[in-house]
Amino acid sequence: MRTGPTPSKRRASRSASSGERLSLVPAPLLDKLRAVVGGGHVLSGVELSPYVVDGRTPEAAVFPATVDEVAAVVSLAAEAGLPLVPWGGGTAAAVGVPPTRAGLVLGLSRLRAIVEHEPGDLTVTAQAGVILSELQAALNARGQWLSLDPPDADRATLGGVLAANASGPRRHLYGTARDLLIGVTVVTADGSVVRGGGRVVKNVAGYDLPKLFIGSYGTLGVIVEATLKLRPRPDDERLVAVRFERLKDAGTAVRAILASDLIPNAVDLVDAVAARAVGIDAAPAALLIGFDGLREQIDWQIAELGSVVRPYGGQAPTAVPAGVWTGLARAAQAAFETPAAVMTLSVLPSLVADTMEQGANSARQRGLGTAWCAHAGVGLVTGAVRAEGQRQDPAMLATVLAEWRAAARAGGGHASIRWAPLAVKTALPVWDDAGPAGRIMQRIKAEVDPQNILNPGRFAAGI
Amino acid sequence: MTSMSSERKSALRRELETIVGVGGVLSDPEELLVYESDGLTLFRALADFVVFPRSADDVAAVVKLANRERVPFVARGAGTGLSGGCLPAEGGLVLSLMRMNRVLEVDYDNHIAVVEPGLVNLHLSWAVGPRGYYYAPDPSSQQACTIGGNIANNSGGPHTLKYGVTVNHVLGLEVVMPDGEIVWLGGRTRDALGYDLTGLFVGSEGTFGIATKIVVRIMRKPQAVKTVLAVFDRVEHASAAVSAIIARGLVPAAVEMIDQLTIEAVEDAFGCGYPRDAAAALLIELDGLAVGMEAQAERIVAACRDSGAREVRTAADEAERQLLWKGRKSAFGAYGRVSPAYMVMDGVIPRTRLPYVLGRVNEIVAAHGLRVGNVFHAGDGNLHPNILYDPRKPGEEARVVEAGAAIMKVCAEVGGSISGEHGIGLEKSDFMPFIFSAADLAFMQKVKVAFNPTGLCNPGKVFPTKKSCVEAGPVAYRPHAIEAQGLAQRF
Repeated sequence: MRTGPTPSKRRASRSASSGERLSLVPAPLLDKLRAVVGGGHVLSGVELSPYVVDGRTPEAAVFPATVDEVAAVVSLAAEAGLPLVPWGGGTAAAVGVPPTRAGLVLGLSRLRAIVEHEPGDLTVTAQAGVILSELQAALNARGQWLSLDPPDADRATLGGVLAANASGPRRHLYGTARDLLIGVTVVTADGSVVRGGGRVVKNVAGYDLPKLFIGSYGTLGVIVEATLKLRPRPDDERLVAVRFERLKDAGTAVRAILASDLIPNAVDLVDAVAARAVGIDAAPAALLIGFDGLREQIDWQIAELGSVVRPYGGQAPTAVPAGVWTGLARAAQAAFETPAAVMTLSVLPSLVADTMEQGANSARQRGLGTAWCAHAGVGLVTGAVRAEGQRQDPAMLATVLAEWRAAARAGGGHASIRWAPLAVKTALPVWDDAGPAGRIMQRIKAEVDPQNILNPGRFAAGI
Repeated sequence: MTSMSSERKSALRRELETIVGVGGVLSDPEELLVYESDGLTLFRALADFVVFPRSADDVAAVVKLANRERVPFVARGAGTGLSGGCLPAEGGLVLSLMRMNRVLEVDYDNHIAVVEPGLVNLHLSWAVGPRGYYYAPDPSSQQACTIGGNIANNSGGPHTLKYGVTVNHVLGLEVVMPDGEIVWLGGRTRDALGYDLTGLFVGSEGTFGIATKIVVRIMRKPQAVKTVLAVFDRVEHASAAVSAIIARGLVPAAVEMIDQLTIEAVEDAFGCGYPRDAAAALLIELDGLAVGMEAQAERIVAACRDSGAREVRTAADEAERQLLWKGRKSAFGAYGRVSPAYMVMDGVIPRTRLPYVLGRVNEIVAAHGLRVGNVFHAGDGNLHPNILYDPRKPGEEARVVEAGAAIMKVCAEVGGSISGEHGIGLEKSDFMPFIFSAADLAFMQKVKVAFNPTGLCNPGKVFPTKKSCVEAGPVAYRPHAIEAQGLAQRF
């Protein structure tokens, strides 16, 4: 797998060096922020280069150490009408509509305590800034894990993973944050500390606020603490590849797998280009299927998988190194040193292969190369456009992405830009159209953040 | 009931009839009586009208009319709820969704079904069963309760330990908003665009609008199922076994606990094969692949024995398995053998606090001069103490209510919740401050206002409030016919 810089990092350094559009937090406010968090935890000037998003440099970055400090910072920003950008590991910072004003970055990296882990309860409570891989290591030491495997786990924070609703291949069996988050504490736009859910695995008291904050990209509150359901670590786990002569056949095989007795923990589909990015030789397509449990269960399932896929042209399953797991969610992006654009498409599982094929064709007709990967069993497709050696034409890119979106929508799904240059994001709405439900989203936002200071203007429905 | 003049009432009735038809409106006080309570008969409130819409357009038209007339309205499914959530607390309209009970579509390729809200939960599993599928959330009232009602309460059931509750199986909803607009939240794909309004709507107890179409996931039936009964001489040992099973890296499909009083009642009533002298029994179910099932069952057996089980046995065949589950599921009907009435509590605690909290529950109930039977979802830490009492004895019902509040306080103190699956409704709205701060509740209110700005949609629920038109009084629990037969139960 290639480990080049992520698009967000690359953009950040390029823009920072140009030093464009710097606005400044007034000195008295900076002093107040320093008084809250300590002078060393407020960044300004060139120190802000890692926090540049879409060419915008934030006015300052502040790193509180406690929930009370977060609340104090939010209150100060609210008083000054200064936009706030909650920031975890920054792995999803480039997702969204380009900000009109960068505002104040509110870094959560100092809130990184694991508050409580009681193995007998199968739950953990941790602060938002804990790095996901560190949390997993601590849980692993006691035989458990949080069944979320998003990319960049060594940089992504728990709060960021929740705010971006990040997921990975094992979501096929274990679901996403909405299936795991049982309690959340947030600092809201008025500086109050609000808790939703609780610490128990089953709970219907009050509205399910944890659901509201998942995937809300910091627009409704600053997540400071979360309680999640855990699972025991399985005895064993294996990943296998099944190669196909035609992408379409792989898609048909996915349906057969889902209708079988198999209980895979991942069903991913990659095209040849994305397969190469994760170190697998497969043309034109391969399924990557994971199994966990007892050794005898895995053995039986891999044998059974062979018979399930054979009628559809699937070759015999071959073992894949465990290291491939971590690359799966980003296999399409990672295929190119510099992707020109990345889009995620949410479609019905039965339409995954068709969507990939259509998307590749629409790019190919314009001379653009692509890479595709999908969590096929749940219908989450990622397409990336190659940039190297190709003329960067924002209008053409936008047209291709618009066609991808139309393909997703035709099957009842939706598609949003994950990453693209500013010019493309300006030419095509970053988020798909939320329809009439978007008005409800806007009303929620208006109720809970009437001043519109929390990550304004970057989310779906114009939020 | 709202104070509505008879002229206004007849005019409204005529207008409602133009929407849902002449046979679709009830306004006779005697007919309305049927709808004055849900499964928790402690609270009663009479509607001005009960209407029976057949489509989302009907629902929308009724809701728009209610808005124009400033009359409150609430949706109702089968009325099996246990918190008074579907009562017309301030009078007005009840929209019974029982005529909207179709399975509209099943997409086997994508494992989804689109259903109407009045569909009975179990009927969906029946509809997809012949193709090897089922709908996983299995509230114990599943023979009667509707999927729309499950949406309102985010219902659970014994098998939610492994498969999650209702919200984990709902992808999208067509909703008639409190102002009458028809809006889709979510859809058929797994990931929602924007905020997860579907996830937020599920469990909002009918205060965000009325779901008229529901997209749910259906699942493949497991290849194999194994049911284990572990018998204990001490309740603490049974509680410890729950954590021991989990500590051995196993997540069974269900772990249910039944205490001695309940076992005796069940054996008297149905003779399901539970040992009468046991202090407690655990009913544990594993499902999944046939391969490895034996090895996993052995781990369960070992965990139970190490925790002090006196006997552990596996159901030899499907008939024995069904009999054991019948004992579990008919416990409520069986209480009739040992008490004229009982009230079911619903609280959740961290699993590791089970021994402590069960002890406290017994102390509290005894201190109130009452008896308690426990039958509950131990694997989830979801308690259901059933306080037995005699409504004819003056003051006894009031003591039950007091004991119930004290038990809820204990659940809150150990970091738990005041409801695992029955909801807040009318019953527990005043208990909300046990677990939520003023700021928490204020935030929830803001979210409610975003959906339901006029407050006409199911007023008086969830939040602490005066119980305006609601009567609470000595009406004993009467088992439903299917409960009395041991076919279904209340949680």
